[in-house]
Amino acid sequence: MAEKNESFEVKDFGWLVAMSILFFALVVVGFWIEFSTEWGPYQQEFPQLLGHYGKVEDARDFRAGIKQIWIPKIGVTDRCITCHLGYEWSSVLPATIAEPLKPHPMNDWLVKHEFSRFGCTPCHGGDGSATTVAGAHQGGRGWDDPMLSRALAGQNGLTMNEMIQMRCNFCHRHDAATPAMEEINLAKQLVKKKKCMVCHVVEGSGGTTGPELTYEGDRNPELLNFAHVRGERTMFNWNVQHLTQASVVSPHTQMPDFNMKPEESRALTLLLLSWRRLPYPPEYIPDPEVAAAAMQPSPTSTATPTPTATPIAR
Amino acid sequence: MDADRRKILRFIGKGSVLAAFLGQIGAAGRAFFPNVLYEPPSRFKLKRPNDYPNGYTLDAAHRLFVIRQKDAFHVISAICTHLGCNVQWKDTEFDCPCHGSRFNPDGTVISGPAPRPLDWFATTVSPDGFLEVDSATDVARDFRLVIGGKGKA
Amino acid sequence: MGDKIKAFWRKISWAWSPESERESSEAIVKNFWLHWFPAKVARASMDWNYSFWLGTASAALLLILTVTGVMLMFFYVPSTERAYGSIKDLEYAVSFGRLLRNQHRWAAEGMVAIVYIHMARVFFTSAYRGARAINWVVGVILFLATLLLSFTGYLLPWDQLAFWAITVGTSIAKQAPLVGPTIQFILLGGHEIGQQTLLRFYVLHVFFLPVLALVLFGYHMWRVRKDGGLAVIERVRNERAMAPKATPKTKSYSLFGLTPGTSVQVMSSTELEESDQVFSSPNMSRRIALVFLIVFNITLLAALLFNAPLEGLANPSVTPNPAKAPWYFVWLQELVASTTVRMGGFTISGALLGGILLPGFLLAVLTLWPWLDRSPLRTEGRWLAPERKRQNATFAVATLVIIVLIMVGVYLRGPYWRIYWPGQPRPEIPQLY
Repeated sequence: MAEKNESFEVKDFGWLVAMSILFFALVVVGFWIEFSTEWGPYQQEFPQLLGHYGKVEDARDFRAGIKQIWIPKIGVTDRCITCHLGYEWSSVLPATIAEPLKPHPMNDWLVKHEFSRFGCTPCHGGDGSATTVAGAHQGGRGWDDPMLSRALAGQNGLTMNEMIQMRCNFCHRHDAATPAMEEINLAKQLVKKKKCMVCHVVEGSGGTTGPELTYEGDRNPELLNFAHVRGERTMFNWNVQHLTQASVVSPHTQMPDFNMKPEESRALTLLLLSWRRLPYPPEYIPDPEVAAAAMQPSPTSTATPTPTATPIAR
Repeated sequence: MDADRRKILRFIGKGSVLAAFLGQIGAAGRAFFPNVLYEPPSRFKLKRPNDYPNGYTLDAAHRLFVIRQKDAFHVISAICTHLGCNVQWKDTEFDCPCHGSRFNPDGTVISGPAPRPLDWFATTVSPDGFLEVDSATDVARDFRLVIGGKGKA
Repeated sequence: MGDKIKAFWRKISWAWSPESERESSEAIVKNFWLHWFPAKVARASMDWNYSFWLGTASAALLLILTVTGVMLMFFYVPSTERAYGSIKDLEYAVSFGRLLRNQHRWAAEGMVAIVYIHMARVFFTSAYRGARAINWVVGVILFLATLLLSFTGYLLPWDQLAFWAITVGTSIAKQAPLVGPTIQFILLGGHEIGQQTLLRFYVLHVFFLPVLALVLFGYHMWRVRKDGGLAVIERVRNERAMAPKATPKTKSYSLFGLTPGTSVQVMSSTELEESDQVFSSPNMSRRIALVFLIVFNITLLAALLFNAPLEGLANPSVTPNPAKAPWYFVWLQELVASTTVRMGGFTISGALLGGILLPGFLLAVLTLWPWLDRSPLRTEGRWLAPERKRQNATFAVATLVIIVLIMVGVYLRGPYWRIYWPGQPRPEIPQLY
């Protein structure tokens, strides 16, 4: 062929070879990324851990891969256990093991709240479908259900345990008081003591001076006025300060200043944020009288004052 | 004679096929206009008048505001007249997050691209005592539904 | 064994690696993959600096989009309840699912850009004159199809961005005179965005628009060849002071040569001097392979480095603040937000003026440009010919304005669509906790 072709022919050929090699290299990188998962190292470590604590057979039977708890009736697809592999092994593994392999503390309430029936996110929040730490723990922009971590609870002046009580109240909404839910129990007492329902409708009854609060937890934080709120612009903060001094946060409000103690306004905020529209079927909703009965014989627990059991309390 | 008949038959044949195809295309096109809608009807009931506090109450599900002034009620749409985003009530005005339209408390435009004021929906009290809204009917800006006697706010 | 496979492959596709000029010519006729090329192409059209091979790059992106799109169809469920979850599954639970979605996303956005730049190239080289005007119009329709494909695809993840993009997009359609509300009603399958809307956009995205694009793409390619190849040939012809001359009727064309006049091959490059031509195979086929590989590599690199965005689940009662359209429509959003005209009591909605009339006018001018252009024909195939200063300036300014509007929309607009200069603090959107 004519030599004139040489100019681009040779160059093209050279580039073609280079691009082919680059293509292959990029595909290799793609495979490398796909197979270097965040959960891979934990899943390698976990069977060794089981073996170390004498569960040789379980260690042998361990199969690597994404693991999930799927509970369609409450819309749960929780892949948290892909990393948090030790969650159900508290009988074998010591609590001193570092996250994420650390077993879930064998709390009293786990007996009635089995992993297979509740999964993880109904209590802890976060994005259960994610298999990365960033995706599961924080969620993306517009994510309105972040995981209730220690750090997040700390920002709001609470412990993680206290913060999670908000989510317990999704189902325990109608208990007058529930064992181990001190924050919410305190809040429910305050609702009665401060007579919130003189001015607010909650679940069909109450006064109409103020806005209805039945689904207060579903409100769009953006609709609140943050002009007079100190600190972070969060719905939590707004509520805490509004409950303490409503006249400062909403200058035109008719709501009186209750001048609550910080721990009281925080507890009440948790209760308000727990009032959401939720997908839980009746079998998930406890009988309020049973919960009240459980509260009655509590000679040892002096921390929680026993309220009178009125099933219709909110 | 034979040729003429053939011509006519051909015309009828071609015409039938053409008309049949047009009919089929029309039928297919018509199917795209739904006859039943899985959405709330344009006339719907809200809560009882006395369930609303004074001031502006957002009904997020129906995308509207119920405004109560003592015994007088009116309902303003929360849908921006510009491109359909939800406006937000900010104590003294409505703000639209999409393109920055701002509206007075009565829904008239302060600034921004919105071409016309927010809709005011015709509101009545249903026989069984609920606020009933007709979102297909726009009413004048001085419309007030006054609930006689019972209103105790 | 290898020989047998090779022989079998030849039987079905007539693969060929030419070793002589004769074989080069025959390859075009006999090879299935090459038969849409002419035997020879103008040397000038092989020049990188003339076409930048942008059309080929668009074709490569179309190929990526088709393949990854069909793959995604195996995992995506077009239902309001499951769409978002199926995207989450692709992100986190399907092997290579995230890579697949990223490739599809970046190829789509790349295609919008590349197709536009390709159009700009055709404009600046005056390559839409004479018979090529038809292909210009086909190209404009292909550009529209690309935009619509991108837009319909944007909605499918059923996240907040998707939901409010449909809200804004279909509200613009509603502003069209007379037929607007009907168009919106058909698009949505009702008055509100719901299951019907998602399904309609899905079918548009995975069947109707791709078929339209592929058919038009085929015609676009065929037409390039029938119009005699790239317009740069006209430049060569002008330089050589050659008058276009009729090619003798070939044997195969004599079959169709029942009508008077010259055959469709009249503008073929075969009349160029021998030295101005090169064989398509292997020169052009190799070049096309190279361009495809470059595009594959860039898309793959982007897919490995950047994740396609996904916002929270669609929520009809909460409008994100600010709600932004995809970048290629942000300029329209800017127009829509700033073109409401008030004269006394009379108001023209920005949605009508900026969302329908202005883009409609731009589109009409763009489509009819070949017939509006009165510049001399000798500018054909020449970059930024001085005789076309006014035309080129018009196009460049329009493009620049659109780019500026996009920049403003993407980088400067904050909550409530207010302008925030770089460094100026933006109000934080309140969070739950």
